[in-house]
Amino acid sequence: MNTLTVWWDGAADGALNMGADECLAREAESRGGLLVRCYGWSATTVSLGAFQKIDEARRGIGEIQGLQLVRRPSGGGAIVHGSDMTYAAAVPKSHPWGASPQILYDALHGAMADALAGHGIVARPSEGGASAAQPETAGHDEEESFFCFDRRAAGDLVVDRPEEPRGVKIMGSAQRRLAGVVLQHGSLLLRHNATVAGRARHPAAADLVGGAMPDHETLAREWVRRIADRLGARLDEEPTSFFVGRDADIAKLSQRFREEWWTARR
Amino acid sequence: MAADLKFAKTHEWARSESGGLATVGISSYAVEALTDLVFMQLPTVGKRIKAGDSIGEIESVKAVSDLYSPLSGEIVEVNTALAANLETLGKDPYGEGWIVRIRPDDPKELDSLLDRPAYDALVSSRP
Repeated sequence: MNTLTVWWDGAADGALNMGADECLAREAESRGGLLVRCYGWSATTVSLGAFQKIDEARRGIGEIQGLQLVRRPSGGGAIVHGSDMTYAAAVPKSHPWGASPQILYDALHGAMADALAGHGIVARPSEGGASAAQPETAGHDEEESFFCFDRRAAGDLVVDRPEEPRGVKIMGSAQRRLAGVVLQHGSLLLRHNATVAGRARHPAAADLVGGAMPDHETLAREWVRRIADRLGARLDEEPTSFFVGRDADIAKLSQRFREEWWTARR
Repeated sequence: MAADLKFAKTHEWARSESGGLATVGISSYAVEALTDLVFMQLPTVGKRIKAGDSIGEIESVKAVSDLYSPLSGEIVEVNTALAANLETLGKDPYGEGWIVRIRPDDPKELDSLLDRPAYDALVSSRP
């Protein structure tokens, strides 16, 4: 079924969002097609990658102490949510975009580059490698940078700036690859987050391009249209939240993300 | 690739060993598809598993993949050296890159897995 189905969800806490995303993955596996959920956060929340060390989040980085914390099932680095555009996408592995990790990264980031280009904003895929602010050194490479937006992986969306030869990262994504389905989490940093400082605050798209930046909803809707164009798929935008009719399943799936064994698993 | 290997559709391999054990790993196709491995979490010895259960997780660049057991049984040995030497998975996926040894509940379960030609056909059909 060549369909892109999109849900526009409001804000929820970290555990509910992660539970909803797992529910989205299960649904993609059973119904086929590409499913996308765009959502917000009820409070500024730090999401950790699946294998990031909890000590760094709880004690190592002062700028994020006191913020809500949730561990994602997907990989990658930590993101401070609250001023970003967050999405989850799920697709069966049998889908043309599900076969290997890079295909889905490139497709969704490329669609965002297309949407931004429509507003005269030039963003391009990164070649990978550390940022100038977090140079690669022996024994301390980019993968050890705590924050997603300090890392560079091939396909991350960057905006070129003279002071940052490898580009300033504005969008990154990470995946959980299960037996039959891929769940991809991603974030576009729309504005810098005023509730955090220091290392936790990263330059955002609006800081880099100024008045050219469209508002969140306009950009998100153009992005999903561009995804459908790239996929050659019919776009189905659901009129209700993804939680409607699935709230009990999502509550059950979200339980793991509230528990210490999961949050502190590493 | 040795002819005595059997494969799961999720890209794990299994090989029957002496003493009724089976060695399990992941295929070279899977290692190449994952690229740049950065972290691996392995199961504990003594864990009982069913075919299709997750026996570990591996993170490549931002993508975490579950590793699934192709057989039901008990994990009797874990290649703990792998976590610190992930490059071994790429260099020798069917030898030093083995992941666990399992005592299968039913050795005949191996017969239900794909043989090499069938697995080669599966991966060659992928984009």
